[in-house]
Amino acid sequence: MAAPGVSARRDAALIRVLTLAVLVALWEALGQTRLVFGEALPPASAVAAAVAREIASLSFYRHLAVTLGEVAGGFLLGALPGVAFGLAMGARRVLGAAADPYVAALATTPKIVFLPIVMLAVGIGPGSKVALGAISAFFPVAIAAASGMRAIPPVFVRVGRAFNLRGGQMVRMIYLPALALPIVTGLRLGLGVCIVGVLLGELKLASVGLGFLARDYYDQYDFASLYAVVAIVFALASLANGAMSRLARRAEAHR
Amino acid sequence: MSAPILRVENVAKRFVTATGTVEALAETSIEVREGEFVAVIGPSGCGKSTLFNIIGGLDSADGGRVLVEGKPIAGSHRDIGMVFQEESTFPWRTVVENVAFPLEVAGMGRRAREEKAMRFVRLVGLDGFERRYPAELSGGMRQRTALARTLCAEPRILLMDEPFAALDEQTRMLLGEKLIEICQALKQTTLLITHNLSEAVQLSDRVLVMSFRPGRIKRTVAIDLPRPRTSDVIASERFASYLGTIWEDLKAEAAKGLAALETARRAPAGR
Repeated sequence: MAAPGVSARRDAALIRVLTLAVLVALWEALGQTRLVFGEALPPASAVAAAVAREIASLSFYRHLAVTLGEVAGGFLLGALPGVAFGLAMGARRVLGAAADPYVAALATTPKIVFLPIVMLAVGIGPGSKVALGAISAFFPVAIAAASGMRAIPPVFVRVGRAFNLRGGQMVRMIYLPALALPIVTGLRLGLGVCIVGVLLGELKLASVGLGFLARDYYDQYDFASLYAVVAIVFALASLANGAMSRLARRAEAHR
Repeated sequence: MSAPILRVENVAKRFVTATGTVEALAETSIEVREGEFVAVIGPSGCGKSTLFNIIGGLDSADGGRVLVEGKPIAGSHRDIGMVFQEESTFPWRTVVENVAFPLEVAGMGRRAREEKAMRFVRLVGLDGFERRYPAELSGGMRQRTALARTLCAEPRILLMDEPFAALDEQTRMLLGEKLIEICQALKQTTLLITHNLSEAVQLSDRVLVMSFRPGRIKRTVAIDLPRPRTSDVIASERFASYLGTIWEDLKAEAAKGLAALETARRAPAGR
């Protein structure tokens, strides 16, 4: 099974790199010639230069730190209660049945609609972005934890009871390992939508943060720098997602 | 003859359903002596699994009691080791980690418990697979892992609920032989719940036939066949006559069970 798997992965990686190279070349050509979009599409080289400029400037790191802090805060405040609520929903049939329609409806609502309410509640500072990130992260995490809890084979719990496990041992030796994969999957989705929520909030109304920075460059018609911020956000989101998938692969390794 | 190590005394169980009260078990009594291999055989729905859960302490009885060496027990008890019908190995643990599970629960250190668990891994013939995960094993190997996990806690009584039900006939026969070998090596007292006639006769010293609803022990058949139960023994006329005798008893019960099932199907759908 190893050999075809490896070569398929290598082919996929090759196709991915070639696609990127072709797209960047096309982008550069379109940007230089200004055939489409005019000023709105700066060439790739100009964007690369703007990325370098950002990375070398001190104020960029202030914006980066604020955004990272908001994402981290929102993720913690959303994911932890999300896990707890999801587990309770999965463990208690009545609670699950009662909460399910609300959770499903709210989960599909774009969280940006809550921004005005959130700003009224906690002001227009970073707090509102943390709150928006938390609201975003909560739902996918809760849904994944609930379905993970429901999917635990009852025989595992019976084995635990047969070996006389105490409550704490039951949690640590049966529930947690059985739930690792669904919870990590939920956290991965939750982190993604948390980043979206924070950035949307910053784009809408803020005085600091990467979203604000992008908005600010837009207002100044500095499109190369705008693209640079977008590229940096993209890179950061990919890194976060990569870290979460590594975690997921570890949890999944033996299923 | 020694005093029985396991006694089930007049255990009864009722279930309340939408259509009324079902008497699952009525005054069931069983005695198992030290080192004995006893099978309980009965048709589907006769309360076998209920009996299994009550003896193992996972379910409570509405009457009667379960005694180990003359002492009544309540709840799950370390003297009784349970092996379940369902796939029950933990997929996040390797074979040896699965087997060492009860030792870890008891707080034994890693080195000591893996050393002890390895004895049971070897006993069930899984040495070489100790670092594999259940997903990498066959169904029969996973069930052997579950058996080793239960044996590793060194229960006085091994209690099994159709442990081979999910396996094919040949694997089941081979595993049965393996089980007998292990039980003799450990002088393991065993109570096996099954619905498989030839399995019961192949493995047991005594076979207890259960009646259908309410479940109770209808008859005890002592299996006076030499061990090991080689293919010659299994092909013998006496083996066949035991099958015939037990089937004679079981047939009426199985027919009742089937009729009850069909009546339930015929009842107007309403839930």
